[in-house]
Amino acid sequence: MLNADQIKDVLSQRANARIYSDKQVHDVRDEMWDLHDKGELVVIPIEKKNKPVEVETLFGWKKKIPTDYLWHHKSCGQCGNIPGYPSSLLWFMNQFKTNYLNEPHQTSCTAWNYHGSGTSNPIALAAVAVRNWYRAYETGTFPLIHCGTSFGDYKEMRKLLVENKEVRDKVRDIMHHMGKELVIPEEIVHYSEWVHVKRKEMASMVKMKMDGITATVHEPCHYYKMVPEDAVYEKDTNGGQRPAPPTAVVQALGAKVADYSTWYDCCGFGFRHILTEREFSRSFATLRKIKPMVEEAHADVAITTDTGCVTTLDKSQWIGKSHGMDYMLPVLSDVQLAALAAGAHPYKIVQIHWHSSPTDKLLEKMGFDVAFYKKDFSNYIEELQKGKEPEMLYKPHDEMEKYFAVNKGHVIIDN
Amino acid sequence: MTVLQNLPRKKADPVQPSMLIAGARPHDDQTEALAANIFKDFKSDFRYKEYVLGCINCGECTTGCPAARFYNFSPREMLQIAYQDDPLVLLDAMQEKIWACCQCYTCNMRCRFGNDIAGIISVMRELAVKNGLESAKEVLKPYSRILLVVMTKGTQVSPDMIQPDFFADWGPFAVARQTDMKTLRKAIPVDVLQVTDSSWEVSMQTSLELFQIYKEAGVVDMLKSIDPDLVEMIEDIVDEWREEFEEMKEKYGIGV
Repeated sequence: MLNADQIKDVLSQRANARIYSDKQVHDVRDEMWDLHDKGELVVIPIEKKNKPVEVETLFGWKKKIPTDYLWHHKSCGQCGNIPGYPSSLLWFMNQFKTNYLNEPHQTSCTAWNYHGSGTSNPIALAAVAVRNWYRAYETGTFPLIHCGTSFGDYKEMRKLLVENKEVRDKVRDIMHHMGKELVIPEEIVHYSEWVHVKRKEMASMVKMKMDGITATVHEPCHYYKMVPEDAVYEKDTNGGQRPAPPTAVVQALGAKVADYSTWYDCCGFGFRHILTEREFSRSFATLRKIKPMVEEAHADVAITTDTGCVTTLDKSQWIGKSHGMDYMLPVLSDVQLAALAAGAHPYKIVQIHWHSSPTDKLLEKMGFDVAFYKKDFSNYIEELQKGKEPEMLYKPHDEMEKYFAVNKGHVIIDN
Repeated sequence: MTVLQNLPRKKADPVQPSMLIAGARPHDDQTEALAANIFKDFKSDFRYKEYVLGCINCGECTTGCPAARFYNFSPREMLQIAYQDDPLVLLDAMQEKIWACCQCYTCNMRCRFGNDIAGIISVMRELAVKNGLESAKEVLKPYSRILLVVMTKGTQVSPDMIQPDFFADWGPFAVARQTDMKTLRKAIPVDVLQVTDSSWEVSMQTSLELFQIYKEAGVVDMLKSIDPDLVEMIEDIVDEWREEFEEMKEKYGIGV
């Protein structure tokens, strides 16, 4: 690791040159505001009510992270297979009395499909992005992107819409046909950045034993390799050499973050591969990620901040037993680990039973009475089967919202 | 910086290949015509100029590539093929190799020229689908259920997709609990997640708007090239939803 002076030098050189290759990168946000002033598009502003917190990105540029009045842009993979990911996030927002909307009037970014199959195009991807952004705009909230791929894709779409007039005009036409405007959020914000700026508040809620936990971090490729200039870095985390989330939050919670030789590798998700060519995904995940995390870093848990990475690293391990690789390393998102640290119910809130790799050992190490919580959840399931109404994090939507995007401007929790 | 800026870059004139990229399959006139058409579309795509900037065959991209470890695939080779002017070699790469890429963007991050290699591979994939190449049909054959969900609900995966027959390698903890999926989904304290056939409940207005985007952006026509039956099924579903939507408008007195 570099010393403090070397880090300072690297950061200032990087900030001055604005490069990550020999291609100079400009800040697309400046042009976006120019187009807003010319009436070419509408920028969704981050307002005072959004209570923004400022952070720095790769080149030392400032980025505003809104922390209130948020529109949850859910992830299809998280909601489908790792539902404790979004429920832990919403649970924290309730603890912090954050105003938010979590609606049925959202599609995914559709970029998982695009990166896997090629069955889309830039116009469709950009129009899907704008349609979702517009829903946040018309409800007076700001989009918070849960998925790393959506985060990367939306930054690419922002750039495309700003730099390409032909795409912009075509997307604007499509939006007008639906009675909507061409809007772009002032910042594209990933949920891990919200967690990052809220980490001290989260740390103050820690109830469980964290000092004996060793975590390894897998940094999601689409968070920092796709449009690298927009990822959050800070000099005090990873020496400013790797993104700050989720390392900073894991450390703030009191756990140790251990390094391993293949931190830079992807998880092996591959988009189509994880669904229809899993022999690749599971081989890569096991050999290049899980094995070094366990053998080099002796991790208790792997922490990441994206849908595909949690899925791949978690689900790919069981089959490794057939080759004598019985690692069984728990894999969680940052916000799930934080919720557990704060004492949230491991099954009702963190929904840890959806994960394939066993988590009992980790929970016990953190001080959970695993048998008690399992029994409690099992009783809850029996009650639900008998017709009991489920416990909810917010008031459920009206029946008519299965059809219509009504309820404009209503925010779920209003302080 | 100076050294990098002085490296050879793509010129306006066609570049002579520094080596012959072998592997083109035997071809006939029809294949040649198809290759020529794809090549024309590829080179005239607005992204080509932005994504393909130059290459000195350094191989940094391939060194970090996850797919290169397990497939006969190299991002360096893909970039060289994109960079040079051989329609048949381009077509050949599009028959198989492009589908190995993981789209992780590691190659982009490592490339000193700033090439968008993952991006140019995506452009090749789009063209493979648009032109109904057999490779695209073959690769996407097990993918039709996913395409159905993404085209109608825009959510890509659903909890009920994780069936034991198809996901046995994910182990007993991933699939055994599917036996009571409905209750387990009900136990998620988030109302829109309490469904099994989609990642979350998507409102009908949202689904119809999504399909309108796909239609106007040309994605529906693109998909027809590889799976016309699937498109017919999707259009039937959407037609039914349109009718139901009109009925619901009347029921709730909404002028959407």
